[in-house]
Amino acid sequence: MDQIGTRFYKLSFLLPGFLVLLAIILFPLLFTIRVSLSGWDAITPGLGWVGIKNYLNVFGDTRFWQSMLRLSGMAVGSVLIQYVLGFALALLVWRDIKYKRFFRVLFLIPMMTTPVIMTVIWRTILHESLGPANDLLGVVGLGPYQWLTSPAWSIAAIMMVEVWQWTPFMFLLLLAGLISLPREPFLAAAIDGAGPIRTFFNVTFPLLAPVSIGAIIIRLIEASKLIETVYVLTSGGPGTATETAGYYVYIKGLRDFDIGYAAALSITYLVIMMILLTLIAKLLVKFMLGDKPQ
Amino acid sequence: MNGLVSFLKYAAIAVWSLFVAAPLLWAVTTSFKTANGVTGGPTYIPWLQYEPSLQGWRTLFGGAGGIDIVGPYIDSIIVTLSATAISIVLGTLAAYGLSRYDYRMGFVKNSDIVFFFISQRIMPPIVLSIPFFLMLQFLGLLDSKLGLILVYVALLLPIAVWIMVDFFDGVPRQIDEMAMLDGLKPFEAFWKVVLPNSLPGILVAAMFCLIFGWNDFFFAFTLTFTDTQLLPVAVVALNSSVTPWWSLSASALVSVLPLIVIAFFVEKLLSRGTLAGAIR
Amino acid sequence: MTNLKKLATSVCAFAMTLSSAAIAAEIDYAKYGDYAKYGSATDVAGACSYESIDKKDYSGRTLKIITHAVPVMGEPTVLHAKQFEDLTGAKVDVVNIPFGDLYQRIMIPFQTGQAAYDVLFYGSLWIGDLHDHLAPVPAAYMDVSGMKDVTVNYKDVATWGSQMVQYPIDGDRHYVKYRADVFDNADLKAKFKADKGRDLTLPATWEEYNELAEYFNNKDWFGDGVVHFGSAEVSKRDDLMFSAFISRVAAYAKNPNVKGGFFFDLETMEPQINNPGFVKGLEMFMAAQKSFPPGGANFGLGDEIFSFGGGQTLFSYSWDDAFIQAQEKDSPIRNKVGAAPLPGAKEVWNRMTKAWDKFDTPNAPPYITWGWTSAVAKASQNQDMAFDYLCFFSNEANTALDLQIGRFGVNPYRTAHFDPKFWQDKLGWDAKVAETYVNTLSGMDKSNNRVFDLRVPGVNQFMSTMANGVAEAMAGQKTAQQALDDVAKQWAEIVEKIGKDKVRAAYANVVALEDQGR
Repeated sequence: MDQIGTRFYKLSFLLPGFLVLLAIILFPLLFTIRVSLSGWDAITPGLGWVGIKNYLNVFGDTRFWQSMLRLSGMAVGSVLIQYVLGFALALLVWRDIKYKRFFRVLFLIPMMTTPVIMTVIWRTILHESLGPANDLLGVVGLGPYQWLTSPAWSIAAIMMVEVWQWTPFMFLLLLAGLISLPREPFLAAAIDGAGPIRTFFNVTFPLLAPVSIGAIIIRLIEASKLIETVYVLTSGGPGTATETAGYYVYIKGLRDFDIGYAAALSITYLVIMMILLTLIAKLLVKFMLGDKPQ
Repeated sequence: MNGLVSFLKYAAIAVWSLFVAAPLLWAVTTSFKTANGVTGGPTYIPWLQYEPSLQGWRTLFGGAGGIDIVGPYIDSIIVTLSATAISIVLGTLAAYGLSRYDYRMGFVKNSDIVFFFISQRIMPPIVLSIPFFLMLQFLGLLDSKLGLILVYVALLLPIAVWIMVDFFDGVPRQIDEMAMLDGLKPFEAFWKVVLPNSLPGILVAAMFCLIFGWNDFFFAFTLTFTDTQLLPVAVVALNSSVTPWWSLSASALVSVLPLIVIAFFVEKLLSRGTLAGAIR
Repeated sequence: MTNLKKLATSVCAFAMTLSSAAIAAEIDYAKYGDYAKYGSATDVAGACSYESIDKKDYSGRTLKIITHAVPVMGEPTVLHAKQFEDLTGAKVDVVNIPFGDLYQRIMIPFQTGQAAYDVLFYGSLWIGDLHDHLAPVPAAYMDVSGMKDVTVNYKDVATWGSQMVQYPIDGDRHYVKYRADVFDNADLKAKFKADKGRDLTLPATWEEYNELAEYFNNKDWFGDGVVHFGSAEVSKRDDLMFSAFISRVAAYAKNPNVKGGFFFDLETMEPQINNPGFVKGLEMFMAAQKSFPPGGANFGLGDEIFSFGGGQTLFSYSWDDAFIQAQEKDSPIRNKVGAAPLPGAKEVWNRMTKAWDKFDTPNAPPYITWGWTSAVAKASQNQDMAFDYLCFFSNEANTALDLQIGRFGVNPYRTAHFDPKFWQDKLGWDAKVAETYVNTLSGMDKSNNRVFDLRVPGVNQFMSTMANGVAEAMAGQKTAQQALDDVAKQWAEIVEKIGKDKVRAAYANVVALEDQGR
């Protein structure tokens, strides 16, 4: 095919989506950058110029940096758990198993519940006076646990809710990946006499690496926005033990209505996340694809 | 040995099923309680442990002191389906382009463009609320379904692109090259040959779009006033000084229903996807 | 539109045809849901009555209202909206928002110049941020009988400077709720006396409150196998905990001999939040944690209501809701509770002399905490209709019925409401319960050593930094002094940022309310 024809097709595939997204997102993004250089708050709305003052304050805001650190731990931790569990579950219901279809759908359900409502339900479950968690664990002689009132348990509780809600995300992506795998490599492995474990590491895992990387990155992005779960379960407490960056920005932005400062926090957050995610993506590619360029 | 493996397999499935189902079962029983069934400590079995009541359910369907979720339900379906459809169409095309052609502008490569798409989801939604508000105000689309669809496309398109690129990468290039050798134009090859082969990916992407769109609370909340109320917004209207455990439980169950139906449908097509992939 | 015939009863039709000096109509809500059991109330003649509103014609116009989630405030808003539609022909659109998100839902349209709502229901403490956007209550509405009967405290709460910009529709305050069946129980009294060497009486100071809570904590009070706990308090960081904290510090830090500011020294605008009075209050709050029920260190208002209202604890203190929940018809502790003013302190910090003043009668300033209020947006094109709606919302007949429907969250705010008979006759409360309730509530209106909220611009910034500091101390991350020192530092920064004069001018209004004698 000639150059111009290729060029035409090339652009007409990409451009519609690209331009639509750009059109919708460009103004909000530029506007946020501009707001971050303003003193917009509850009393004086508008774009009054304050220069980089907000950014200087962000720099010295230990509460923000601590919440970033906490967030990284919680996000990375819960995403890894989700990935391992999701992969395991996908393998479990991939091939012949009784009631396969039932389990496949059942495993998807948590992701489909509305987070704002479901976290409230989790709060009732973990309620230390009125909830069933400690009650039922007590029956088998465990607990009572301070689900929402001790720092370590509240972090665990929040991560548990995240794992419950989002493991299906990994599960679905990996299951779809498994289902669309070609058969030849497996046949070849079988002919080689490879056992299930060797087949997994030599065939299944490498073949699913691209999907895995994609899934992990997108989950990291989403998990980092952890706000709703924190707000409902502990609102950052006890003390500041579960305060994440997203939640801190929420408090600054929409509770305190310190819009200018919240914008500066967000832009800082955005830049850090872009850098971190790029690095993580590179590392994952290196680790999972064994240095092959993608 | 085989028996043990099989046993462990089913045991693992059972444990996870229990963990998945427990909160939902709790929601089912809680949805039939009243304040008295809650304040006395955890109870599980109706009649035996607490006096069941339909009040939690009635509040969702126009009962006194409640809301009517039928209107919001329909609005939510319209907005979610529209935004998903637009995102999938645009997203599939873009993802196919990014998977098959090389785009180069200075130092910007394909992977950077893909990252640009997904990076749109990094921004905490909180700070976007005011710019989106101003944008929709300028367009006259505040408090309207169309405005929300627009915003949702910005939220869902990145997901669609991100997931689809991976799946198209998994579809061997030979099959579109063969199709084009047969005289098909790139669009035709894409439509007739590649698309059917990447159905699992499209389904999965569509399902994620539906889920994210259906469950978005934040933008549905900040960009509307009194006219347009989507389901999650209508439901949290019940979250007053006292959290109504009963009606929120009922609403959690009601709002997950349509997605479960879709899940069955997707699962079925997914299984069939194996057949489609078999020609490789 | 004369739908009143359908709406009320046929009595009204007679009234209108016979003469204007009328037999007033009996109003009930039976048409709008399962409200029949609350009976009816008499329509009191006047500009806000059913009869007067029925004569208005607002057909073809739309009123937009933002209010709290149902049922608290949200349900009466919706109910009266439907009635208003039937009476005037207007279309009324209501949106119900959970409290945590209400502020931003109101602020974003205000700040971007979008006339999104005509009528707003919200927490009265935001007056400092919102007053510029609100339409003052027109003189005509100041003269209606319902408004004239609003008690001084709630008129004060609705006023900014010399203008009333909020329309009083509810009364709120913090007070103690206790289990009367414990304090009246002969066995428990005897046992307490044997153990502690003094009579079991209601706590007069926070020290006694903590002591009693601890004594009765984690105990099976009545030998029936049920373990009860000491005190349920709102302790979840961003869930109104700041109000609980203010309740606890008021006694130690609001000195009746010191004028000119509680949160700040009005002259210098120096934060007082870390003075020894506040620190003492926080330490008492921290000490009380050991008498909380399980999970009590993460209780939001809803949890507190369930905990005390469900009979779990001896005490709680905050708004009326927990008391009303306890008094619901099917409640296990109905008529076994009582209400009392917040405890006091015998030593109160004097920031002028930098010393503790001693009081023989404990100093117990009532905290006239924020509560539900309503207002009309200045940018509204429908101010006439909007004020008519609020005036109708709060007319005597509606209020009499709303007060009885506990979940509505409408609590006494007019002189007429402070009558024990009302609660006995209409709701079947025991005389003693009704008396403690009414006396506690009306007693606050007589005090002239009152604490109000920090009704200044940026109030949420002040309150959320304070809540964060208090939470850090409660979780043991910092000492009380350290935590409040840090809060003081941040408060100074916020004052600097918003502008000292702006905050001072606003705070002067609050101080004027606190300091004016009666």
